[in-house]
Order: sequence, then structure tokens, then C-alpha cells
Amino acid sequence: MTEADKNMTTNQEQQPLLDVRDLQVDFTADGRTVHAVRDASFNVYPGQWVAIVGESGSGKSTSAMAVLGLLPGTGKVTGGSIRLKGRELVGLDRRDYEALRGSQVGLVPQDPMSNLNPVWRIGSQVKEALTANHMDVSREKRSRLAKALAGDEEVKVKKSDDELFISSKDLPGLLEAARKALNDAGVADVDKAMEAMKAEWDVGSETRWGVAKSLIDAGVDDDTAWTLAKEHVTGSDMNDRIAGLLSEAGLPEAATRARQYPHEFSGGMRQRALIAIGLASRPDLLIADEPTSALDVTVQKRILDHLRSLTESLGTAVLFITHDLGLAAERAQHIVVMYRGQVVESGPSLEVLQHPQHPYTKRLVQAAPSLASQRIISAKQRGQDAEGLLEHHVKGESTLERSEHVITVEHLTREFRLPRRKEMFKAVDDVSFSVKRGTTLAIVGESGSGKSTVANMVLHLLKPTSGKVTYEGQDIAGFGGRQLLEFRRHVQPVFQNPYGSLDPMYSIYRSIEEPLRIHKIGNAKSRQKRVKELLDMVEMPESVMGRYPNELSGGQRQRIAIARAMALNPDVIICDEAVSALDVLVQDQVLRLLNDLQAEQGLSYLFITHDLAVVRQIADEVVVMQHGRLVEHATTDEVFDHPQRQYTKDLLDAIPGGKLRLGLD
Amino acid sequence: MGKYLLRRILQMIPVVLGTTLLIYALVFALPGDPVAAMFGDKPVNQAVAAQIRSEYNLDKPFIVQYVLFLKNALTLNFGNTFAGQPVISVIGRAFPVTIKLALMAFVFEGIFGVIFGIIGGLTKGKWSDNIILVLSLLLISVPTFVTGFILQYLFGVKWKLLPATAGANPGFIDLLMPAIVLGSVSMASIIRLTRTEITSNISEDYVRTARAKGMSNRSVIMRHVLRNSLIPVVTYLGADIGGLMGGAMITERIFNIQGVGNTLYQAILRGEGTLVVSIVTILVLIFVITSLLVDLLYAVLDPRIRYA
Repeated sequence: MTEADKNMTTNQEQQPLLDVRDLQVDFTADGRTVHAVRDASFNVYPGQWVAIVGESGSGKSTSAMAVLGLLPGTGKVTGGSIRLKGRELVGLDRRDYEALRGSQVGLVPQDPMSNLNPVWRIGSQVKEALTANHMDVSREKRSRLAKALAGDEEVKVKKSDDELFISSKDLPGLLEAARKALNDAGVADVDKAMEAMKAEWDVGSETRWGVAKSLIDAGVDDDTAWTLAKEHVTGSDMNDRIAGLLSEAGLPEAATRARQYPHEFSGGMRQRALIAIGLASRPDLLIADEPTSALDVTVQKRILDHLRSLTESLGTAVLFITHDLGLAAERAQHIVVMYRGQVVESGPSLEVLQHPQHPYTKRLVQAAPSLASQRIISAKQRGQDAEGLLEHHVKGESTLERSEHVITVEHLTREFRLPRRKEMFKAVDDVSFSVKRGTTLAIVGESGSGKSTVANMVLHLLKPTSGKVTYEGQDIAGFGGRQLLEFRRHVQPVFQNPYGSLDPMYSIYRSIEEPLRIHKIGNAKSRQKRVKELLDMVEMPESVMGRYPNELSGGQRQRIAIARAMALNPDVIICDEAVSALDVLVQDQVLRLLNDLQAEQGLSYLFITHDLAVVRQIADEVVVMQHGRLVEHATTDEVFDHPQRQYTKDLLDAIPGGKLRLGLD
Repeated sequence: MGKYLLRRILQMIPVVLGTTLLIYALVFALPGDPVAAMFGDKPVNQAVAAQIRSEYNLDKPFIVQYVLFLKNALTLNFGNTFAGQPVISVIGRAFPVTIKLALMAFVFEGIFGVIFGIIGGLTKGKWSDNIILVLSLLLISVPTFVTGFILQYLFGVKWKLLPATAGANPGFIDLLMPAIVLGSVSMASIIRLTRTEITSNISEDYVRTARAKGMSNRSVIMRHVLRNSLIPVVTYLGADIGGLMGGAMITERIFNIQGVGNTLYQAILRGEGTLVVSIVTILVLIFVITSLLVDLLYAVLDPRIRYA
């Protein structure tokens, strides 16, 4: 039972921390009013994790930003009430809101790349969060709730001086004294105990009270422990505190890191810095707006695990915004489902997941990739052969008499020269695999694993350092001129970003027609007919032909990108993170579309993704890559049921909601 | 960093050599005989003319003249003007005036450009922003000689508020109007640049994050909007110093200031290659050095920029 649960049961009649009633948010554009949020109501109790789930544009982020008073552009709260600890926030003036932000409501924003100011050091951006709220840096100010949770006894023991932090000056003396005390107390394994304490005693984060407690736990008697703690924990300065906050958020070598700039941080590290900022002034409520959707699944898991333990120890309530129902169910106790600005369903997580009432929630449950993987497994467990679900592949194969492998990759290696380094960096290191005709091979790995580099070499966009790629038995390195054009006709890409891969100045018709024109296929009339066919194939109306990419949604654009790839009747489509940028429902539609097209046309896919959950839905074979090397290669079932490598197991573990019991019929 | 600096300094050598050669060639190609022009309406005395030609190396082929100029320039001996004054003393008289003028223009455009740009950017879409936008567009589109003559007529001649022309040794008041005219176009560009930067930076995600920290509106604007917005403005200003020195020619002609621009203009008219090339060489050096300083300043202001 988590602390939050305990809190829920022991404080039944407690007031909600955040009480949103009939919230209405409107945006005005060109004189038109758009109701972004309509009559939304939800509660967050102290210490609770509540998830708001919905697709983009459902009003989930807008509701959260309304709580913070940070609605973008023309957004305005036009009705309803937002109460924080009983205090009405709607209509609050700017100064009052400034006083409330940071200290009572914190924010962990969505995109770690754009949410840190590139010209300030990480440490100074954390410092702002402290100074803006006049935080007393020398001592901890936990929320009242955390103290109450700790039990009456301890609250009495903890005087305010006991909340002083370890400073960097004190630490060496403290460790020495602690070792001596442990020796005097006759503790059996002093070295081991010291290691544990070193790990726990973070400068600027651990309090005098915490030091005394861990000494007592290690076997030192109460009086000695407290005397020692009083002597050696005398409060830290601002820099120590910043380092302490960053290390609490899981950033190693925090003191050094604090002096670095955002561009020297990876996405995961930036997100940790943003968590440190969001929690710096110990707010009662933390709004986490898709905090990990821009990150790899394994990093996502680590960060959310850390955020959970941190908010639990601080007693912070979290309003968690996500589009992934599986992730929401795994992390939050309570789920609120939003659809087109309205709350369509809310309740305890498992309840919503297992007995969805609203049709939209049902669709979400079915589409969530994390849960879908579970579904196919359960289908198999019910005695259905997973092969049966992939029947069309076998059929597609038998009708063709050409060689079995469309694309073969042999000992592919690609090196890059890094700036200011002598040695070469191996982005891809001796990778071999082959794509069987009419099937899907997925390459899985985190960012930086070299999977996109492989895709670019297969597409003949990048020359391998060594090794070769063969298409229909021919080495593509030798292709040039006419042959290359022919190769391009048969092997088509679909890229990750549907916003970037369509020319904004081209109409949809022109975008789809372009490959036909380049390859001089048919005349204007037959090309137009073909474009109509293609639009029909990707289930888009003919009316979009005259429109431009910026008028379409992400999912629609990705359909157009697929239609364009299909224009030349290719044999192979290489999808580089083709669905990663899409909402779950749209992702599901696109995956189904790809699946249907494969069944109808006997296409082969090379599917590159970081998301194993998606792999489960689309792939027949899986190649797992790590640091440029191929670490595992097997059929999808094999990889999911009996992963061989630890890395693959970690990837599988990281699928959100993967371990949830789903009561689907 | 040291390597980068050395490379940039070495790069200056071909730039300076190339520009001086080009300018020398252009002056050499000017139509008309400068020596003959010296005699004015009087008949040309061939003996005297030949003596002048040999004294100023005008009788030698172009490339020899250029090499002789370079050789002397290295020892800071730029020779004499046709009127017999040492070139170095002409430059010594002209440059202080122009530097004074350019600095005044620089301060004017920097202060007012940034202030109006900030007002425009922070009140985007309101009346103040619209007025600033229209006025800055007006300043950009009207050429300097038009604004110059208009201001000269209104303030100098009609209302007699400021001196209409600057004398031989112009003071602050004499140069005030010329400096405003000289800085006006750049000021308008700075207004627009600052305004655009602010309006785009204010909707950055990190600004929202800063507000979510509980920072006051004032410190969010100062630390996150202005700091980031002013990086390109500062680099624009730095690059403009060279432009102000060279661009002073029109302004100096209008207000009759005996600065670099005016001297250069006279020298071109008289076909005095040595003087023209000497002045241009110094202007080129100022350009090259300020652009190096701007690039270094850029790296200081934006931590993402690192030179290797």
C-alpha cells in the first residue's frame, strides 16, 4: 500500500487538494470561439496520483494549464471553479497567482528540449525556482501533509533545526565521525554501512534528522547519533541545495552538472532537471504534462519510477497528463478520461481499464499499444495460435516464386568521425539480418542505438563503411543512374515526422503525384486516377487533394506520406519511427492500415521503432540493437515470451502497463 | 579558442590584401588624368607633370605602384597628398571626427532601437506597437539623404534649434543631428529585430516554465525574454559599427563634416589613389576587427556557440 493510499483511507472526509468543478475554457480565433474544455470536473486528493487521459486536442493539457493560470494565447476560463485547498483560483490576479505557482503548484512540462532556457546554467534555473518562492535554502520545508503522514510522534521529535541540510563543507567530517561512531558501536560490517550512508547522504538534500535516523538504524545509540548529527549537519548554502535537488531528481554528480548548460544534457537528464525545478519549492501539487512522452521507453520508466518515489516521500499529489492509457493505469490511482473537451469517464484506474463505460474509453483501451501487446498474448493463451492472426503473410509468400529474402543486410558497419576525437565512432557495428518477402522485420532500440543509420544505409542514402545491403540479390552499393531510380521505385520510406516530411508548399495532390511524375508514369489523367486510388487506399476522402499539409492533422499527414510511398507500387516500405509521433488512436489506425496494405499487396516492411509495444502489433521478426550492435534476433513471439538478453528484458519491462491485469473479454 | 583566434587573425591578411588591391585597381581605372586636373584651366607644363608623376610613382605600371604602396604602408609611411600634406595627418584629422559621429549614432540607435523594440514586442498588437511599427518602416524605406535634408531644413534652417552644418571642429551639439540621421536606419532595423525576437521568445516553452516556477512577471521578462532576445541585437549592433563609419559619407556631405566620408569623397574626385586606398584600408581593418569581436561576443552571450 502506498503512502497515498494510506492517506486516502485514513482521511476519508478530507477535503480534496484540488477541486475542479464544471470548468470551461474558451479560445478565440478570428472572432470564432472554440470551447476547448467544457464542464470538466475532477478532484485530486493530497498525495494522490490522478491521470488525465485523452488524445491531443482533448483539452487535457488545457485543463491543467488553467489550474496554473498559464493558458496560452487567447485562452480564458469562462466558467466553473478551480479550488486549491478550498481557495478559488478563477479570477485570481497576477500577483496572487505568482505567489501560488512553484510553492503550491509545480509543473513538469512535456518537452525537455524546449523547456530549459539555453543561455542559463542548469543550476541557475533551479535557483530561480527557489528564490522566486523565497525558499529557506538551509533547511527543508516539507509540506504539512508529509509531516502528518510521518506520524504524530516524529513530528514532535522534529524541531526546525533538525531540518538543516548537510553542506559540502560538513560532509567529509561527517563521514569520518560516522565511521568512528560505527566502529565504537561495534557494527559488524562498517564498510558496507558506510557505503549505504554515502549513497544516501546527498549534500543539500539529506537533513540532520535523516542523518541521525540512518545512524540509529545502523546501530549507533540515539544520543551519540543526535550529538554527531547536530555537530556535523549545520545547514547548506544555495549551491549545495541546488545540487541536492538535482541529485534527488536522479542526476548523478549533481554539483558539477549544475554548472553545465542545457545543451550539454541529454533529454532524460534535462527532464530530471525539470523535475528538480518542479519540486524545488515543495509544492503540494505537481502537474506533470506528458513528462516522458519525448523520451525512450527505458528512460521513461526510470524517470517515472524516480518521480513516484520522490513524490511519495514528499507527500506531493500529482496530476499526470498522458495520452497513453496503459501508462496512466500503471502510474495513477485515479483516471480521468477526456474527449473533445469533456470528461467522459473517471474512476479508479483498474476500474476504468477493466470496465470502460464510455465508447471512447473502450476505443482507447483497445488501441493502447501497451495493452494491445497484452491482448495478443492473451489471445494465444486462450488457445488461439498467434500464427493464425498473421495468416495473410503465409498466403502472400506462397503466391510469389521469387527468392525468399527481399532485403539482406550483411556485416553492415558504419563509422562516423566525431569532432575533436581521434578514434572513429561506430554507429553501426557488424549488423546482419534479412527481410523476408511479405513480412515485417522490426528493428528496436533506444535512440543512439544505430537503428536509423541502418535504415538510411538500406535506403541507399548513406554509404556503409563496410558490409553490404542486397536488394533482390543485387548489391545496392553498385546501383547508379537508371538502376538506382528503379531501386528507389521499389523501396520507399515513411519517416517519423509527418510535419516535416511533406513539403508545406505542395498541395496533397502534388505531394502524392510527385513520385509518379519523377518516374514518368502515365499521363496527367491516369496519374490523377492513381492519386484518387491511393487516397482511397489510405482511407482519405478525395476532397483533400487540393488542401495543404498544414490543414491536416498528424495522423492524416502520415496517411498521405504512406499514400505517397505506395504510389509506385513498391515491394518494400521502410518505416522509420513512422507511428511514434502519433496519438494512440491514430497510431492504431495507421498500424492497421499498414497491416491491411501488407495483406492486400504482399508488401515487406522494415519497421524501425523504439517502442516494443508497437512491434508486438506489427512485426513478425524482431532485431534488437544496442550501441550499434545487434544483440538479439528472433521471431516476435520468441522475443516477447523468452527474451534472451538482459537489455531486451529491460525494454520489455519498460512497456508501460505491460504487467497490468486486463479484464477484457 | 586560441587556435580559432589565430586562424581568424591570419584570415585578415588575404582580406586586407585583396580589398586594397581591388580599391587600388578601381582608382587606377578611374577616367581622367589626376595630374592634368591639377593644372586646372592652365596649360599643362609637361616637365612639371613628369616630375609630379615620378614623385607619386604615377609613371610606373599599376602593379608596381601597388607594391610600392604596400611597402610604404608597412612602415606606416602613406606618402603625401597631391596638395603636399602627409596622408597620415589628413587621416589623423578626419578619423576622430567620424569616430565621434559614429559613436554618437551608435549610442542613439542602440538605446532607442532597443527601448522601442521592447515596447513594441511587449505590447504586440496594441496601438503603441502599431505606431512603432509604422514609424520604423518609414525610417527604413526613406533614404538617409532625404531624412537628412528634411531634418536639416526643419531643425537647422526653419526653427534654428540645432546648427544646420558642422564646422571644422564639431562639438556634441554640432554632431547631434547628423548622428541621429546616421543612426536612424539602423535604429529602425534594431526596433524591428528586437520586437520580432521578443514576440517569438515570449511564447517559448521555457518562459512558461519560468512562470510556473512562480517567478514574477518582471524577472521572467528580464531573465528569460530580454536576455535571449538581445543576443542577435547585440551582434547586429557590433556588426553595424563598421557600417556606420563607412556609411557616414552621405551624412557628412549633407552636414559638411570634415570626416572620413568627406575626405574620401574629395580624394576620389581628385583621383588620389594613395589617400583613397589608405582610408579604405583602415575602414577594412575596422570592419574585420569588429566582426571578429562580434563573433567572440556571440560565444560569450550564447553558451551553445563554441569555437574550435
